Amino acid sequence: MLSRHALDKSLTGLIRVAFYISMALLLGLIFAISFRGISAISLNFLFLPARDFGASGGIFYQIFGSVLMVTIAAVLTLPIALGTAIYSSEYMRSNRKKRVLELTLLSLNGIPSITYGIFGLILFVNVLGTGISWLVGSVILAIMMLPTVTLSTVQSMRSLPVTFRENGFALGFSRAEVIRFIVVPQGLQGLVTGLLLGLARAIGETAPIMFIATAFSGVTVPVSVVEPVSTLPTHILALAQQATNPAALKNAWGASFVLLSIVFLLSLSAFYARTRLKNLNQRL
Amino acid sequence: MAEARFLIRKSYSEKSLTKTYATACALLASAIVIIILSVLLSQSGSAILDSGPSLLGTEWNPARNLYGILPMLYGSIIVMMIAMTLALPIGILSALYISETLSEKRRRVAKTALEILTGIPSIVYGLIGVSVLSLWVADIFGLQTGRIILTAGLLLAVMILPTIISLSEDAISNVSTQYRENAYALGLYRYEVIKDVILPQAKGDVIGAGFLALGRALGETMAVMLVIGSLDRIPSPAYNILASGQTITSKLGREVAESAFGSTHFNVLVLMSLILVVLTLSMTLMAHLIFRTTDAHA
Repeated sequence: MLSRHALDKSLTGLIRVAFYISMALLLGLIFAISFRGISAISLNFLFLPARDFGASGGIFYQIFGSVLMVTIAAVLTLPIALGTAIYSSEYMRSNRKKRVLELTLLSLNGIPSITYGIFGLILFVNVLGTGISWLVGSVILAIMMLPTVTLSTVQSMRSLPVTFRENGFALGFSRAEVIRFIVVPQGLQGLVTGLLLGLARAIGETAPIMFIATAFSGVTVPVSVVEPVSTLPTHILALAQQATNPAALKNAWGASFVLLSIVFLLSLSAFYARTRLKNLNQRL
Repeated sequence: MAEARFLIRKSYSEKSLTKTYATACALLASAIVIIILSVLLSQSGSAILDSGPSLLGTEWNPARNLYGILPMLYGSIIVMMIAMTLALPIGILSALYISETLSEKRRRVAKTALEILTGIPSIVYGLIGVSVLSLWVADIFGLQTGRIILTAGLLLAVMILPTIISLSEDAISNVSTQYRENAYALGLYRYEVIKDVILPQAKGDVIGAGFLALGRALGETMAVMLVIGSLDRIPSPAYNILASGQTITSKLGREVAESAFGSTHFNVLVLMSLILVVLTLSMTLMAHLIFRTTDAHA
């Protein structure tokens, strides 16, 4: 029988070891990607179009396609997220209904990304006949971003002190004016944070867009909304499938590193926005 | 007087405009889930009519009109089980370390780092799996190919690890400091505090975190698809995780683009996607309902 002291030492040791294993795995991962990725990156790689099915040349149009698609997705999701958040925080009285709306949004978050791709393929590409289109990709990514943006906005609207609203009404504001001048400015912090987090997730998604919005080679700047673009994640996918070709693999690592940098930059800005804007609001 | 009436009317119409806009958005947002489910349902109904009992078989051969989905279902479950068996204990123990031993400042750094790690795109994991991990696995076990069920499980374990740590850490550090202080004041050792005070309190939320991770593991596509080997059969013996396999998601990722829209092949794939959604949605909803009940206790 071990003494309590020995048991304590060994169990504390166990959680320490588990923590070190997790850290080693995750840091090792980042290190491996950076190590392989940085050696593949050069100015040419960033600014030239891909050649030889991605084995040489760069990833300029992939970066362009990814940025275009998620930017439009954010533009599409923003007004709907804001409206839904206003409705939930200002017009819904019953907590139960709020909870139902929240669970609906969380379910949207729980739908696997490949399912979004299949949904887009059936409804837009085939039934509505758009064909492969980057705009359809944006619409799908907008739907995927919606819960994150909405819930984050609702949360910051909810944290608004009751006195702010009461002051607004006491000044003779209508409900619409209270919303416009008091609730929405307060919600902006959540909106910005949510949008940045949503963008970080959307730009890394492959499965939802690979059937409906992208093409692998020979794609440049689209001239209409019903054309495919090339994106970083789908480019990495195509290169990873030729894993026996060292040149393709090297470019896959380079593209992964660029993608990862964009994702981290977006999530870091989200955290910055969360703390910075919160402090700003508290000072007001 | 006229001006006052104008003002009243203006604010009245403005009010209804804001309300109409907000209501329309909320309706649209809540309708999306239903739209997605009905689109999937409408397309997969005919799959059941066309291939009926053969769906529950183990053979997948579109040329012979055989669409057995059991190998994929089996693959999804076994890969998920491998991932959870590895990631859940390591994740919860790591969360305990972060919550119970680190200073507040370091805790926050660790949490931020974890949240950022959660965002690593799955295609990047796929690349690591296909060009590093699967080679290691092949070397270690002396196999011809490392694209096997075990590799997919290992990769998935690493993928869901940040989520598990982060969510269970939330659950654990949500336990009120008062309980901790009382327990320590009674002279309990740290492991006793963890075992008898903290874990019983945090249990619900930790289980919720597990369900969320389960849902995510089931729905993961890109990484699994690249390393599982895409072989539509249940390995023999069934526990042989060193064989290649197929999950629902990897099947969908590989074949949706190849099958003609409206064909039985396509419809069966949509049906599989519907099964997948039902599974992941139940996990997600279960998780949030559990979170909810523990909130009520707090």
